[in-house]
Amino acid sequence: MTAVAAVSAPARPRRAAFLTERGMGASVLVAALSTAFGVILLSTTGYLSALLRAVFGTDGGTLGLMIAILSVIFMIIAMYVGAIVTANTFATIVAGRTRRIALMRLIGASAHTQRAEVARQGLVVGVIGAVVGLIAGVGLSYAGIALADAFLGVPEVSYAVVQAWLALPAAAVVLTTWAAAWTGSRRVLSVTPLQALGGSVERTAEQARGGAGRNVGAIALIVIGGALLGIGVALGLMTPLAIVVSFFGGLISFTGLVLGATLVMPPALRLVGSAFGRSATARMAAANALRYPERSSRMAIGVVVGVTLVTMFAVAAESAKAVMIANSGGAMGAEFATAMDLFAGIMMGLVAVSAVIAAVGLVNLLTIGVVQRRTELGLLRALGLSNPQVRRMVLLEAAHITITAVAVGLVLGIGYGWAAAQSLLGSISTAPGVIAGALVPPAVPWVPMVVIVVATAVLTLVASVGPTRLATRVAPVEALAAD
Amino acid sequence: MEITTTDLGLAARVTHLSKTFGSGDGAVRALDDVSVGIRRGQFTAIMGPSGSGKSTLMHIMAGLDAPTQGRAWIGDQEITGLRDSELTVLRRRRVGFVFQSFNLVPTLDVMGNILLPFDLDGRRPNAAEQSRIDGLIDSLGLGPRLRHRPHQLSGGQQQRVAIARALATAPDLVFADEPTGALDSRTSREVLALLAVASREHGQSIAMVTHDPIAAAHADRVLFLGDGRIVADKPRQTAEQISAHMLSADRAPLMGAAS
Repeated sequence: MTAVAAVSAPARPRRAAFLTERGMGASVLVAALSTAFGVILLSTTGYLSALLRAVFGTDGGTLGLMIAILSVIFMIIAMYVGAIVTANTFATIVAGRTRRIALMRLIGASAHTQRAEVARQGLVVGVIGAVVGLIAGVGLSYAGIALADAFLGVPEVSYAVVQAWLALPAAAVVLTTWAAAWTGSRRVLSVTPLQALGGSVERTAEQARGGAGRNVGAIALIVIGGALLGIGVALGLMTPLAIVVSFFGGLISFTGLVLGATLVMPPALRLVGSAFGRSATARMAAANALRYPERSSRMAIGVVVGVTLVTMFAVAAESAKAVMIANSGGAMGAEFATAMDLFAGIMMGLVAVSAVIAAVGLVNLLTIGVVQRRTELGLLRALGLSNPQVRRMVLLEAAHITITAVAVGLVLGIGYGWAAAQSLLGSISTAPGVIAGALVPPAVPWVPMVVIVVATAVLTLVASVGPTRLATRVAPVEALAAD
Repeated sequence: MEITTTDLGLAARVTHLSKTFGSGDGAVRALDDVSVGIRRGQFTAIMGPSGSGKSTLMHIMAGLDAPTQGRAWIGDQEITGLRDSELTVLRRRRVGFVFQSFNLVPTLDVMGNILLPFDLDGRRPNAAEQSRIDGLIDSLGLGPRLRHRPHQLSGGQQQRVAIARALATAPDLVFADEPTGALDSRTSREVLALLAVASREHGQSIAMVTHDPIAAAHADRVLFLGDGRIVADKPRQTAEQISAHMLSADRAPLMGAAS
């Protein structure tokens, strides 16, 4: 597709040439995935309400509304993760272009036109991805509805897939990709013309620290959200309506955690990294994740969002199920349990889309990390780092980020899931010797947890294949001669 | 029984070495039937203008690149035909490297960088090696900086760390590729003096690639390369003598073309 874009504009090949740059393809893929997901969710929602109308003769009332709200929430989550990945990708692309940007600045280009150029490229990437996603999403929706009509035995519903509102997710993705490219290109402003003359583009010190203002805001959100969550849990002993307080508490505190990723993730990354051992490859792999803490933190938080949500739904559903079964003295049958499991399963499947987007980001992060470290890898190869050691190092780097993200996500998810169950069911839960209002024991369903851990392992392995191949192809001479 | 590198009093040698980059019309012959040895315990400078093949010669001698034709030895070990994994271990254990810039791994501190060859080998230095390393740290004045990261050091200090790392394993041969290229003149002199001392007082064999006559003047022997061949092999020279030779060599191809 990038080739087509380049070929179709032979008069000005430079205009589209940037699309072949490393990272751009992944950004197109992320935009396409987010759009397709949004389109499919909207189609599903529309189809379901048409179905409900056909069956009940109404819009489905509360159920239809709930489905619509959930669709929007999951779409926002996917786009949010996609935006994080895109912003990260553009930040790394800019880091790789430092020399060229510095040269342009030296010749007389202003930092702002340089940044606008990067943002414009983000817009192009967003448009291409959105169009591809829209087409794929519509196609898949057609296929899905045809399958549902054929196999589910539901009454024939006349539902037109192509509707104007399907352009909404596409438009949203274009805008978020553009905004993400703009955000990610912030570092263009700090490139000095002098860097075109300098011998080294390697950042000497780690300057990457989030803005102080944002950090204060993040901490405030975490504290306020945490307090609300505490109140919700306490109120939960009296009324199920406490879930409303807890919901906002969770939303606010989690937003704080995500915004404060650069505060929260580096200590976690350091902790996990220290568990890798003392060998040179392990220490270098651990240090690489912290070399650009902002980049790694944001990438990890993309995975954290997915894992937290999956775990939260699983734990909340499992805890609720346990309470219901306990309260009913075992009378609550298999039917209810199956319904709860199905609900949790659907939630997890929807969140998994965000995980796929996060995986694309992880591949990107590792690849660009390898590309930007060519000289260093050449040096290491010259000094006697063998190819198996290179492979182990890149794999450890990937594992470092995924293990940390999953560990944090599991802890947060269990916490939030329990808080939700407690707030909703604390007042009706019964414990021996207590009349009303009791603590709901957090129930952790093991199957989803195992699925998450296995999926993480697979994700790590898959994500490190490409970057590993790149890294082992670095010939020491080539890398050092380029210096 | 073939005569060995050791018998010849050499630390490394190459015979009838050729290296061609590219193929067809675009082929460039970087080395053309070069045979030379680096004498054990000596500080040898390899000089020549850009494109003379001096870096290619060093890369092949150090096991970083493979020749198109010819053979190469480090000590008594023939390195031509070795697999990549064997070459990697050989470089790790028997060759030391000092480069112009980007010598150190930025994520490791000074001590981590010095011990890197041992770490990559999956072992700790033994008592003799440890005392050697301690001696190097002491004589290079790195004691107070062992926990510093490379970006906290000046260029000269970074180059001292690279020298400590290159000497730590007591390799057969240390290759220095333009080691003063990124340093100011005073720091350059210090670094060159350190290399000369390592050779003179500790018998370390060193091969230094440079195009700087002042740097080459610190060496015991100066090899001149031009157009992929060794054009001169001289004992210790002054910077003036080396410059004069370089200038005359620079004119030679023009005269050759005219005749």
